[in-house]
Amino acid sequence: MRYRLRHRTTYSYDSEVGFARCVLRLTPRSSPGQTVLDSDIDVSPPPSAILDRVGPFGARVLTVTVDTPHRALVIEARAHIDVHTPAAGDPAVSPAWETIRAAVLESRDLTADGPAAYLFPTPRTPIVPDITAYARVSLTPGRPIVAAVAELNRRIHAEFRYDPSATEVSTPVAQAFAARHGVCQDFAQIMICGLRGLGLPAAYVSGYLRTVPPPGQPRLEGADATHAWVSVWCGEALGWVGFDPTNAILAGDDHLVLAVGRDYADVAPIDGVILASGGQSLKVEVDVTPEDAAA
Amino acid sequence: MADDTTSPRRSKGSGSGLPPRLVRWLEGYRPLPGVPDELFGPDGQAREHWLAFLSELAGYGDNDADGRFGMAARHIRDSGASYRIYGEDGERSWPLDALPLILPQAEWDQIAAGVAQRAQLMEAVLEDVYGPGRLVADGALPAPVVTGSPDFLRVMRGVTPPCGRHLQLYAADLGRGPDGRWWVLEDRAQAPSGAGYALENRLVVSRAYPNLYNGLNVHRLAPFFDSLRRGLAATADRAEPRICLLTPGPFSQTYFEQAHLARYLGFLLVEGDDLVARDGKVWVRTIAGLKRADVILRRVDADFLDPLELNAASRLGVPGLLEVIRAGGVTVLNMPGSGVLESRALMAFLPRLCERLLGEPLKLPNIATWWCGQAAEQAHVEARFDELAIAPAFNSLGEPLCGPRLVADLVPDARAELRARLADRPGDFVGQEVAHLSTMPVLRDGRLEAAPFVLRVFAAWTPEGLKIMPGGFCRTADHPDARAVSMGEGARTADVWVIDDKPVERLTLIASDDDVKVRRILGHLPSRAADNLFWLGRYIERAEATLRLVRALCSSLMDSESSLHGRGETFEALHALLVDWGALAAHTRTGRALDCARHSLHDEAASGSVIHLVRAAKRTASGMRERLSADFWGLLVDLEGDLAGSAEDIHSEAQALEQAENALRHIAGLSGLTQENMNRVAGWRFLDMGRRIERGIDTCQLARALAHDGATIDDLDLLLDLNDSQITYRARYIVGLARTPVRDLVMLDPFNTRSVAFQVAALKEHLSVLPTLREDGIPEAPARILLPLAAELETEDAAGLGADKALSYERALMRLSNAIADRFFLQGASAVPTVKLVGLA
Repeated sequence: MRYRLRHRTTYSYDSEVGFARCVLRLTPRSSPGQTVLDSDIDVSPPPSAILDRVGPFGARVLTVTVDTPHRALVIEARAHIDVHTPAAGDPAVSPAWETIRAAVLESRDLTADGPAAYLFPTPRTPIVPDITAYARVSLTPGRPIVAAVAELNRRIHAEFRYDPSATEVSTPVAQAFAARHGVCQDFAQIMICGLRGLGLPAAYVSGYLRTVPPPGQPRLEGADATHAWVSVWCGEALGWVGFDPTNAILAGDDHLVLAVGRDYADVAPIDGVILASGGQSLKVEVDVTPEDAAA
Repeated sequence: MADDTTSPRRSKGSGSGLPPRLVRWLEGYRPLPGVPDELFGPDGQAREHWLAFLSELAGYGDNDADGRFGMAARHIRDSGASYRIYGEDGERSWPLDALPLILPQAEWDQIAAGVAQRAQLMEAVLEDVYGPGRLVADGALPAPVVTGSPDFLRVMRGVTPPCGRHLQLYAADLGRGPDGRWWVLEDRAQAPSGAGYALENRLVVSRAYPNLYNGLNVHRLAPFFDSLRRGLAATADRAEPRICLLTPGPFSQTYFEQAHLARYLGFLLVEGDDLVARDGKVWVRTIAGLKRADVILRRVDADFLDPLELNAASRLGVPGLLEVIRAGGVTVLNMPGSGVLESRALMAFLPRLCERLLGEPLKLPNIATWWCGQAAEQAHVEARFDELAIAPAFNSLGEPLCGPRLVADLVPDARAELRARLADRPGDFVGQEVAHLSTMPVLRDGRLEAAPFVLRVFAAWTPEGLKIMPGGFCRTADHPDARAVSMGEGARTADVWVIDDKPVERLTLIASDDDVKVRRILGHLPSRAADNLFWLGRYIERAEATLRLVRALCSSLMDSESSLHGRGETFEALHALLVDWGALAAHTRTGRALDCARHSLHDEAASGSVIHLVRAAKRTASGMRERLSADFWGLLVDLEGDLAGSAEDIHSEAQALEQAENALRHIAGLSGLTQENMNRVAGWRFLDMGRRIERGIDTCQLARALAHDGATIDDLDLLLDLNDSQITYRARYIVGLARTPVRDLVMLDPFNTRSVAFQVAALKEHLSVLPTLREDGIPEAPARILLPLAAELETEDAAGLGADKALSYERALMRLSNAIADRFFLQGASAVPTVKLVGLA
């Protein structure tokens, strides 16, 4: 499936800002599951300096410096992406989950693609005994990893209430877990904590989900949103498999990957510092438009 | 003791000339069973080098020895040597033992060789982990042993350190095991602390026993620090680099040490806000604009160094710093990411890594460590669960590594929980052999006792290669396992004496004249320091003026002469001023002068009270201790001490007066130090500008209240008192008090050191020599306010100088204060993170 992607972030400031420096993690990366055909980022006002590098998790990262006085900073990322998620195999034939736990401890892969990078707790995804216990219900002894995680994926969807007003980007995972509500970020973090609590490597994936407008209505511009889900290492043979606990599905051709990291902090689309004395506000617009194969 | 001759704790020749005090000490000494001891060898004989020290010390006699050490210990308080415990507001005074740890040269040589080898090994591991990663790829080091550390900074992989190495300072914590060998207990590779405390400990102990110190061939520490400094300087790409010590700030546990080191080494002590990353370089914000920082010795943990790429919530770092490191524009040591070496999990692999990387066995063994991430090791630890200590394999972010816990000591629930966590996440734990570390003698309440200790030894990279500090930072504990004891839990520290068998170089090495270029101004004053000095000046001056009001209040009531002209009005005027100045709540009973005096001195809730101002001054000073002499700090401590106790402890005007007088004397001492002992460079100017502006403002306020058109004789008399101008006035005018001459003396007289005109003239001189940022020769904002004010004061006529004029001068001085802040200090627009919010679905 081929998509056109637009991700526009607008910062508005109460008083003039004379200097801004932002790290932009807004360039999607090609992987076995997707091909990035082209991508581009526009910043307004135009930056005085742009530094381009490959970030710690393999994705392209831009550092932009803006030193023209401004009241609004607009960052727009665009891309064309072809998503071709490999077909999921039979979950019942994947290796027993305990063998994954043993394998990761012997890993010789220090890169960001290796499982050891995603095994340990982080400030946003700590080890929470209650969440570990919750995950353990699905990870019964000897159960194949994909089947076990798929059940955890379904349970989170079924037992947690989706509520965009209940949590914020900074809500601790233990709090969202205790209240049994939240949004994609909370669900992804809960799943990550549960799996890591049992010694399994799980990564936080940020990206976009294709949304289908209600029947008979046109797609609304900018109505889509960024999404988050989980990628679990299922052994050398299967590699990384995506699970979307918000929708109780495996990540497939509707999921466009923007970045992968240990938690949200590694994939935050923008980290910025400005010289400012007044308040600021933020607006994000996302469009994920499927393109006709013929176009 | 019943039978002296068979006592195991006997020294050679005891009874033949040993001082009785030493005999008492030795007889009362009880080493712990089954644990080696530094004083007594395995043969039950006291070791020669300890005996030599202790018999000299015992020869001093009880009072003398206590007195010597007590005097030295007071120096600790006066110099402000302190540490801080997380969660506590105050700093604690430094707990130093009276006895140093004494190590003979031969023993030391082994330690030094072992630590030097380990330092090299550490550097080699970092080179590989942040470089090619062969150790992991070959299976010599499992990937999780690296990624498990929160100090493994993936973003630093593939970054070549600008100076070619990752480490500048490395430290190892050592203990002597039951077999008599020294073992490494922990590695400190992120930003080791303790070297500065070791310096301070040396200063105190060598002062206490100068003859012993000089007679025993103790190795000096100064050459090591000199090498350390040159090692850092050599990493820069220009001849006279600006070296900064990056501190988390005054609330850091070891801020005193950082300030002390910065001052000793001549580095600029900076906080993150002082630095700015721009155009591929790092710059210090100074009063002369941005100046390049060449080398940064960091004491900020890596995670906090750069909010753009690491912890986005950090306010301690420098946004964009990592980008500059990658570009090679600044040397930061130790390199961000070196903390990965501090994991206990790594210890289990070091013996093999040493063979592989250095081609030789480890000279100092680790304490035996098994990483449970390996199946065989996990099984071993589980089989010996009850005899081992279990410890976290990695430190957790923001918390120091919590110590090993002996499983046998745990309650059943905790044991079960630990077993379960070990089963779920075996890689998070190590098992360690329980070590009974050797003890050393300490003096407690006049008795000699055996205390377990840990010795921290430092290695530095220098132009002459690796150097080991001949000494160290020793912590002693009452607890049998010294490893588990941190400073917050009652541990004490001791100096470390390495005793050579031949005389050591006595003097600090003197550099040859050719190496040192004569200079009179040391770099540029950082904006933060200028800010702090300016406000320190203002707080001290305001405290002085308020004390003068209190003094006048107390003495006017006692002085029968002034009571002749209706003391009631004078009292009213003083009360009104104290309320205006925020020293006194308006509702304080006006009827009682005693209440007014004691509250103005002691009411902590009142922002203008003397105690509040003195504390503000001390707080400001504590943020730049490296710039203030120990004497200056000591006087500030004394000044706060003058005001110890509460308002209720003051029962009479005489008592309040005495307190105010004492405090004024200490402030006079501070003024004297400032004028006579502070270099007349920019720092002094900002301190003095703060005082001058405050004095000018205060004098205008006093003149408005006491020399207005309706002022009485009493008012004028009081004004001269407060302005310290009685004698001058009486000498100049015989006719008695009149409004115009008083106004002239207090406001306009350029020869009266307390007049407004005098302050303005001094300010003018200061501004004229401070650097300007403009290249077009046009005056900067502060000068544009000050020059017209100076001209007006020079030409004004006192007769017409009413309250409105005084008010306009006062306002001009306040505008000047703001303009100086805008021009020279860090303020106004500050760096803030952008808001975070993603449209999450």
